[in-house]
Amino acid sequence: MQDSSTSGADPLISLTGVSKRFPNGTLALDNVDLNIPRGQLLSLIGLSGSGKSTLMRHLNGLHRPTSGVVKVMGVEVSSASNRQLRGVRKNIGFVFQQFGLVGRATCLENVLTGALGRLNGPRYGVWSYPKQLRSEAFDHLERVGLVNQAYQRADTLSGGQMQRVAIARSLMQQPQIMLADEPVASLDPESSAQVLDLLLKVAVEEQMTVIVTLHQVELALGWATRIVGLRDGRVVLDRDATTLKQEDAMEVYQRVDKSLDPDVARRPDASGVTQRSVQVAP
Amino acid sequence: MSGAHVEPLTKNRVGQPKQPKNWRNPTLLAITIGFVAATAWSWNFIDMTLLTLFGGFSDLGNLLVYMFPPIFDNFPEALRATIETIWMALIGTTIAVVLSVPLAFLAARNTSPHPLVFAVARGVITLTRAVPTLVLAAVFSISLGIGPFPGIVALGLHSVGMVGKLFTEAIESTEFAPREAVLSTGAGKWQTILATIIPQIIPSCIGTALYRLDINLRESAVLGFVGAGGVGFLIQSELRGLDYQRAISAVSVIFITITLIELISTRLRASIIGDHLSTPTNQNVRSLARMARDQRLIEAAISTRRLTPPWIYERILRVGTGLMFLSLLVVALITIDMPIISAYKYGDDLVRSIGRLYPPDFTYARAELIQGMLETTAIGFTATLLGLVVAIPLGILSARNIILRRSVVLLSRGVLLLIRGLPELIVAVLFVAAMGLGPVPGTLALTIGTATFMAKLIGDALEEVQEAPREGVSATGATRVQEFISAVLPQALPNLVSQTLYMLDVNLRSSTVLGIVGGGGIGFLLLGSIRVLDEATVGAIIITIFVLVYAIELLGTFIRWMVE
Repeated sequence: MQDSSTSGADPLISLTGVSKRFPNGTLALDNVDLNIPRGQLLSLIGLSGSGKSTLMRHLNGLHRPTSGVVKVMGVEVSSASNRQLRGVRKNIGFVFQQFGLVGRATCLENVLTGALGRLNGPRYGVWSYPKQLRSEAFDHLERVGLVNQAYQRADTLSGGQMQRVAIARSLMQQPQIMLADEPVASLDPESSAQVLDLLLKVAVEEQMTVIVTLHQVELALGWATRIVGLRDGRVVLDRDATTLKQEDAMEVYQRVDKSLDPDVARRPDASGVTQRSVQVAP
Repeated sequence: MSGAHVEPLTKNRVGQPKQPKNWRNPTLLAITIGFVAATAWSWNFIDMTLLTLFGGFSDLGNLLVYMFPPIFDNFPEALRATIETIWMALIGTTIAVVLSVPLAFLAARNTSPHPLVFAVARGVITLTRAVPTLVLAAVFSISLGIGPFPGIVALGLHSVGMVGKLFTEAIESTEFAPREAVLSTGAGKWQTILATIIPQIIPSCIGTALYRLDINLRESAVLGFVGAGGVGFLIQSELRGLDYQRAISAVSVIFITITLIELISTRLRASIIGDHLSTPTNQNVRSLARMARDQRLIEAAISTRRLTPPWIYERILRVGTGLMFLSLLVVALITIDMPIISAYKYGDDLVRSIGRLYPPDFTYARAELIQGMLETTAIGFTATLLGLVVAIPLGILSARNIILRRSVVLLSRGVLLLIRGLPELIVAVLFVAAMGLGPVPGTLALTIGTATFMAKLIGDALEEVQEAPREGVSATGATRVQEFISAVLPQALPNLVSQTLYMLDVNLRSSTVLGIVGGGGIGFLLLGSIRVLDEATVGAIIITIFVLVYAIELLGTFIRWMVE
């Protein structure tokens, strides 16, 4: 499967032969090559444990590869110094499944932490940030529709609201890249749609490059321009979203079906027949 | 413990009570037998008999008679000494907190920069906890002179053991997700720690500090026994002069102060740690009005895009408490007789006075050392068992969910609070005054302290049991007593075992200093050696105390591990 969407210019993000083995022996990424040009809306799909989150964490240096090179905006993240890393991270918004908000702090304070990369020295509490940044944080909360909660503690919000605050915090960074690792996995369907819509809207408005990991294929197909599938740390699918059918995408998940039945796994031709006959039987 | 026994425990789902343990469990049985045997030996060793036990209480009755009517003409002096005691506790606790914050970050698994730093920081925390405050104060008074200064330094250093440990645990229990998220925005290490870890630990740290302030107030009330400032000196000299009618007035001033401050700090702790201060659980008129006011303030702040947080109740309370604490600290530092600006000059003296304890000399007072340590151990065990015997009924009486008559619960809780208001060593001084020198008055004083403290722990443990099993047992037609024995006790038992061990640990530490007031044990030799400046023997005693305390801590950890 070939990368179908590389543009002529230098890609914004590139992974070359990236492998990651954790200290416990798990091979989380296995020789991954991936180029992502500016402005792409990419969705990473795959089972949990397929390496999606690990790949995302390599892009902003939360993890370093065992071998291979990760390049983001011209910086080799895989070997960057702390200082360089901070420079790269400033330009990458990262939205997590578990939101990563400080529950006891107000929404405004949480959003303000997104500005730390622009400031020197530690800050504590709203008043320790410049007035102009506070005003900016208000704007971002307005944008995600939570300005009324600005002075409310983050742990009093619903999951969907928390994720919107987390998005506001990322916007505070004025990032060029937005990474979202299972941003809606802990949310109910309605909040999921709201959060994904918001993410897409701000990404288009700010012309950001977006990578979202999702395990629901329908959601991924709905808005991404490119779908990349991971299985066991390897890229097994890389397609333009418009030409991809849901069944093709589902192939990324097929390993589980096969592994349930060792016989079928050995004879891939027979798999369809056996399964269908089983379904019809009763 | 056999593998077959461990199996079902691991399969328990979270939130369910653990497999009940009863006397048939071999581990528990062995521990109980060991504990009873050790206590029997101890009981013999200090020549405790039921007769001396009750004789002791009649002696105490006589002392009380001598104390009445109290003479209050020394009231101004008692008040001055008590205020000094409060300032000492306040400054000592502040020193401990200031030292503990950096130490805790170095000692917490998730923030420590290096395994070596981690080990050293942990070691420092354990070490400071091992030597009792009173011993430290006695040693420091050699180089820093008589007065509150050595007492404050001792309070500050010893408290690091507990405060640092609890701060470390608070840091280790913080969530990782916010840290990872803020680090991802390009924030630096310290920016991230300040933005994510500090807000998470602040409530528990304030709670710890207030709790330690309570303990330090009790500790500083007795520091005067070794000449390290506070009200203890006054009490001791009045008792020595057989001036019982005046002694009782000084005792009552410190007693009332300690009880009042404990009430205030418990209240404060509850309101600061309370998870959602903005949504109080009790919906009375005042708290509803407060919520409405907060809501108005927040709405106004949003509509005007106010860039500073509005002054809601929670914020007023926090800032107000902080300012009050700071002003009290300033007053304390100004009033107290202690070199503040030039304190650093004493650093040298302090280090040298610790240095002179080395090399320790175990031979000079060998016989007394062995006898003292055995006696200390014996006092610790006897007081723990006696205390437990008294604490169990008292604890049951103070559990709201067991005793349904509220008046009984309130009465027993009140009695416990009142008795806790007297520091153990002050009780010991009174007992020694009534019964003469020796391990028996010391043991009785520790017993009272243990009983009240354990009773509170038992009451709390009982109140934490789950209701479902109780309803189940009651539904079968069991009587209240049957229900208590078969549904409540098994749930609370592991907690009780671990608290008894904790109490034993505390009592062994306390009994090392009882001798300072003549209550038996190693403390007597210690004070004597300090008086004659025999520092080599002091060093030997401190090392022996350290080894004993550390051995007990290891034993406790091992037994807890076996039981849980």
